[in-house]
Amino acid sequence: MKQSKALKAALAVVLLLVPILLRNFNYGILICGFIGIYIVAISGLDLVFGYCGQISMGHAAFFAIGAYGSALLHKYVQLPILLTMVLAAIIAAVIGALLAYPASKLVFHFLSLATVAFGEIVYQLVAQSPGGITGNFTGFYTESINLLGFKINTNFRFYYFALACVCVFLLMKHRLVKSREGRAFLAIRENAHAANGMGINVRNYKIVAFATSAFYTAFAGAMYAHYVRFISPETFSNKQSVMFLTMLLFGGTASLSGPVLGAIAVLLLNEGLRFAERYQMLIYGIMLLVVILLMPGGIYGVIKKQLDKRRVVD
Amino acid sequence: MLIQVVLSGLVIGCVYGLIALGYSLIYKASGLMSFAQGDMLTLGAFLGYTFYGIFKLPFVVALICVILCMFFLGLLLERGIIRTLLKNHVLPVYIVLATIAVSYVIQNAAMLIWGTQTFSFPAIFPIPLVGVLGVKVQPEALFCIFMSLVCMIGLHVFMKYTRFGTAMRAAAMDPTAARACGINVSFSTGVTWGLSAGVAATGGILLGPIYGVYTMLGAIIGRKGFSSAVIGGFGNMYGAIVGGILLGLVETFTSAYISSAYKDIISYSMLLLFLFVKPTGIFNEQAITD
Repeated sequence: MKQSKALKAALAVVLLLVPILLRNFNYGILICGFIGIYIVAISGLDLVFGYCGQISMGHAAFFAIGAYGSALLHKYVQLPILLTMVLAAIIAAVIGALLAYPASKLVFHFLSLATVAFGEIVYQLVAQSPGGITGNFTGFYTESINLLGFKINTNFRFYYFALACVCVFLLMKHRLVKSREGRAFLAIRENAHAANGMGINVRNYKIVAFATSAFYTAFAGAMYAHYVRFISPETFSNKQSVMFLTMLLFGGTASLSGPVLGAIAVLLLNEGLRFAERYQMLIYGIMLLVVILLMPGGIYGVIKKQLDKRRVVD
Repeated sequence: MLIQVVLSGLVIGCVYGLIALGYSLIYKASGLMSFAQGDMLTLGAFLGYTFYGIFKLPFVVALICVILCMFFLGLLLERGIIRTLLKNHVLPVYIVLATIAVSYVIQNAAMLIWGTQTFSFPAIFPIPLVGVLGVKVQPEALFCIFMSLVCMIGLHVFMKYTRFGTAMRAAAMDPTAARACGINVSFSTGVTWGLSAGVAATGGILLGPIYGVYTMLGAIIGRKGFSSAVIGGFGNMYGAIVGGILLGLVETFTSAYISSAYKDIISYSMLLLFLFVKPTGIFNEQAITD
């Protein structure tokens, strides 16, 4: 027990020191900021997919709602940015609930089709918006986060902001999955009929799962928008939804650390593949296949298996 | 104008139908969904362009070559990847993701082999335009509609009246019972994936002369094919074609009379609407409930 506490403290110190260690390597801090964003987004997807067992292949739509919602609210209603981020995430949660209400009766494959369709509809609305308010394909410029006069406009500052967000969202996730709701999610994942028989309102909990998940991913989208300060539809295509799923499965589902590991691993791999720009997507596709064929539990699954083995030996 | 719109709606609708036919076949035979059908169409179009446009084979020979190639590719996909995953008892999402990975591989491999430009597929018929009810249309458009219907009737006859087709239907309906009757279930599942790839490739060759051949040709059509399959009733072969034609007509009418910007939104909204309100589709196929 003592050992794990010391390990956690060491991890916290390292996380706090990362930007200082990387201070001559701005690009590295930039990537770390993106990792934070993706951890929040994928933790959300994990709630609905890993814990509740409901697939979503349209989470880029929530990412888009968060990004465009926050940017548009800031530009047209002139609200302060942190508030717009939360508001956009709430809007996404409401939309997620509205989608989940009729979708809750659909099982796996057809739920995936429904979410694909939802993702495409949001993508089209962003790319060819009524009156062109999103800037369509030319994209949309927005500003960086302003915390009571303190501008988060460098990669260095954003790193700490993202770190704080990740901590808050992971803590919330931890509390949620240990609660009554979290246990209901697991029951629904394992067997929806049995859960129903135990008195769990399956539809309501599915809606809660979708809404919470949408909140997480949309908040991540808003973080993205004010980090990059420029958003365009390409970021929110169906490829992004597949990327979210890939990261989640690569890291491991239904855990706190799985999405963290997945986001780090896939983002670093993607950056590493940049040297082979022409072949990047091809290698990515082949790698995806290999991982699915050889490592179906993700990184977290592999580590857990090793740990379990050691425990048995002890 | 009206006839022109109806004809182009029928052309794209028939291709949606062919893709949806592949989805229905696969779903019936293995209870799975492949997200790689659209890219099978792309690959079919590229192979057709290569055999017919570059190697100058006669069109019928090129068509048969492409269908055979794609049939074996589909078979290989099922044998090499899907079968292995099923054997490992992975979550179903991995199979979906594996087909998406295959679609990325096909898309990008096609881009590396053939490049990013749009190729014009050489004309199949010596006459450039024919008159239909007072409007001039490409003969390839009529050929596309005709061939799609031939494909559908051919598949129907094959499934219903041949010994092997009956075995395939039995294997799809109840694998255990079919195995007990001495049917090679594993083989027939593989053939179904092969057939679906072949049908998608046919769609690609038919669409090539009309739309041109490029790497993203099938990506959108593949997703729209899901709409037509659900509208017609997922798993139903007639539903696939009827749903496809309906979707094609709705799309072309929307872009002709309202705005092409809303074309995609409307077709995906139709998919959502059918899933939520009438998941069994027009032909009342009960696939979704199980």
